[in-house]
Amino acid sequence: MTFRLELDDDELSSCVSCGLCLPHCPTYRTTGDESASPRGRIAAMRAVQWAGAPADDSFTAFMERCVQCRACETACPSSVPFGRLMEGARAALLHPWWKRLAYRVVGSHRLLVLLSTVAALLQRAGVRLPGLPRLPLRQAPLHASGTDVYLFTGCVMDAWSRSTHAAVQRVLEAAGAGVALPGRGADCCGALSVHAGLSDHARQLAARTMRAFPGDAPILVDAAGCGAALKDYGHLLGTAEAEAFSARVLDVSEWLAARMDRLPAVEPSARFGPSVAVQDPCHLRHVQRAHEHVRTVLRPFADVIELDDEGMCCGAGGAYSVQQPELSTAIRDRKLSAVARSGAKVVASANPGCAFHLAGAGLDVRHPLEIVDEVLRGR
Amino acid sequence: MDERLAADLVAVLDKRRVRVESLELALYARDASVIEGRAGVVVFPNSTDEVQAVVRVARAHGVPIVPRGSGTGLAGGSVPLDGAVVIVTTHMDRILEIDEEERVAWVQPGVLNLDLSRAVAHLGLHFAPDPSSQQSCTIGGNVANNSGGPHCLAYGVTSAHVLAVEVVLPDGSLTMLGGLDPDPPGYDLRGAFVGSEGTMGIATRIAVRLTPLPPAVRTMLADFPTVEGAAAAVSGIIAAGILPAALEMMDAEITRAVEAYVHAGFPTDAAAVLLVEVDGLPDGVDAATVQIDEVCRDHGARHVRVAADLAERALLWKGRKSAFGAIARIAPNYYLHDAVVPRTRLVEVLTKVYEIAERHSLVMMNVFHAGDGNLHPLIVFDRRVEGVMERVHAAGTEIIEACVAAGGVLSGEHGIGLEKRDFMHLIFSPDDLDAQARLREAFDPNGTCNPQKVLPAGARCGDLQRIPEGAWI
Repeated sequence: MTFRLELDDDELSSCVSCGLCLPHCPTYRTTGDESASPRGRIAAMRAVQWAGAPADDSFTAFMERCVQCRACETACPSSVPFGRLMEGARAALLHPWWKRLAYRVVGSHRLLVLLSTVAALLQRAGVRLPGLPRLPLRQAPLHASGTDVYLFTGCVMDAWSRSTHAAVQRVLEAAGAGVALPGRGADCCGALSVHAGLSDHARQLAARTMRAFPGDAPILVDAAGCGAALKDYGHLLGTAEAEAFSARVLDVSEWLAARMDRLPAVEPSARFGPSVAVQDPCHLRHVQRAHEHVRTVLRPFADVIELDDEGMCCGAGGAYSVQQPELSTAIRDRKLSAVARSGAKVVASANPGCAFHLAGAGLDVRHPLEIVDEVLRGR
Repeated sequence: MDERLAADLVAVLDKRRVRVESLELALYARDASVIEGRAGVVVFPNSTDEVQAVVRVARAHGVPIVPRGSGTGLAGGSVPLDGAVVIVTTHMDRILEIDEEERVAWVQPGVLNLDLSRAVAHLGLHFAPDPSSQQSCTIGGNVANNSGGPHCLAYGVTSAHVLAVEVVLPDGSLTMLGGLDPDPPGYDLRGAFVGSEGTMGIATRIAVRLTPLPPAVRTMLADFPTVEGAAAAVSGIIAAGILPAALEMMDAEITRAVEAYVHAGFPTDAAAVLLVEVDGLPDGVDAATVQIDEVCRDHGARHVRVAADLAERALLWKGRKSAFGAIARIAPNYYLHDAVVPRTRLVEVLTKVYEIAERHSLVMMNVFHAGDGNLHPLIVFDRRVEGVMERVHAAGTEIIEACVAAGGVLSGEHGIGLEKRDFMHLIFSPDDLDAQARLREAFDPNGTCNPQKVLPAGARCGDLQRIPEGAWI
């Protein structure tokens, strides 16, 4: 089985192979393999596109082992657009039918909720479902409270962890914002499809999502992976309309950090009890580059501890933890050690994928705004 | 690929740690230089025993071995030729022991330079050699290349920080060179091994000296309207009796490339900048800061900025240490030299280097350790342009000749590897080269350990080393 790569030659040539990305790459750090490093993956892409090497199973394996955390992009002095190269390479890979089907399910919210409920029932009946967190059986619906800001609800987050949305909504309301919910069609932002290289599917989802947010109110996102994808619609669709849409998108902490004076002050005794380690989701830190806002939002309400691993990926990577369980777990072990060294009892994560993945190892993981919500409600 | 060789390697390691598939081998064909070779097999030993076993298997098959750490070398030292067995040390990445009182750490060769400094920072210590690639490069690689770095001006290069090395010799036997005593008896074979670029064996455990973090540090950025002014200020600072911890220079183009990445406020309209760091006791640091400010202004500096805090200092250094990596902002390839010239002739040599580049219609940048005269003339180009490699090599040769003519040497810290091997005769007589070849033979009589590196063909009588077919330099 072989296929053609059609990457941008200038982008592909923009790596000088200096190796400064290596220590920031979670798969290189875990394996020590050049083929699991950004530099090595680019060399493999070059070998296929420029030197006639066969795009064989090993090429596919090298590409699929990438978590797509994009830490190499912030580490790269030459700003090599690694994420785009990887998405381009993945677009060329041959995708088995079951993978395409899985992404279709995520793109249909009703189907996803239905299947999630079935899975939750199975879990209650004692069936172990590897790769899945404990799913809720019933979730209370969200209700719009105004039109100042939209809250993006998305796919997995809404199906599996709607209580996070509810907490985020309460905090936004405490800051005086009326919260609108998207209309029909915003089932999924398409991030997973983009990462898998299923770009046609991603574009369909993007176009449908955009129609669900009429007007010009800011679109706030409490899932870092979705926020990064929504902010990239301008590039994905290449239209002025998509650019304008992307400009409205903000991570909830990004929006809130500029409006902290609107939140009520809390007494020292009312602050969150345990100290909180901040886990930076890669797509907040390396793609949106908006991770500092989480600290700004948390600090008035909790003692924030920094991890000493320079924001190294936790290994979740959207669907990665299911597709590459061995590597994903090895990467997570490094994060677990960092959390243990920090002494924190609670971890704040602004992305559901990371939160599920870390909770799966027994950590107490909350969305940063769930912590703020708990403090505000307990005043 | 020799299947029996691979099978024998699998027998001493395991299948997962012996790689023979062609696409993967291609990824080990080069380091961070532009030289390409060809790997036969790539192996990942986990222990000294396994390194010994691999070396013995390769030897039994008559196949050469090439050690490799992170592959950040700049002279082709870890580029495999002739289908060699590449022994990668990335799995041997444990810090084995930290002796806080004796200020010594035992490490495996695959430990990253910066990881060691981070691991001992809470003890107020660090590993002083700090190559620009320190976040990525391994200590084994530092030992192989006797690596330098900005702070080696005051602290000395790697050799000054390596006390002992456990080495798997080319015949697979194990030995310890050097020792923890202040002056181990006998010949300093440790000194011979450090900087031997993998031609005398493979270090499997290294005892390094840890250095106290200085009580006070001050980092300055001086901005000059001419390269000559900046170069003269370098001599001026040393002549004033100050030994800075680091004294670095960047010219206009590289400063702009770096600033586009770090946004540290490097002046993008300066012809050259100096990054000067002083450390020591607070009073001495204050006095030196004032003096350096004066010397820079006397030599025409428009502005001298002192980093306000640790974050600003870190950002300035991040800029300096990212310089080579930032090159792709200008062109996708670089060819980097590493010559050292007497500090007093910096201005003259720099002028000549720019002239040479211009004559060959090449873009030339300079970012270097000015304090010890260690130039890094950097030719940037796009390999896809026809005929460019010939010009790059011609200019490179002229640059080296100019540096040697000014009383300089080939390499300050990157090593000789393949890249500068054929220039060795410029600074060594046939007798010198023969003596070095005999030292190497004492360690590696069969010539199986990183062969064809460092010493040029014909260094020994009857020696027929040459670059094999297919090697791309």
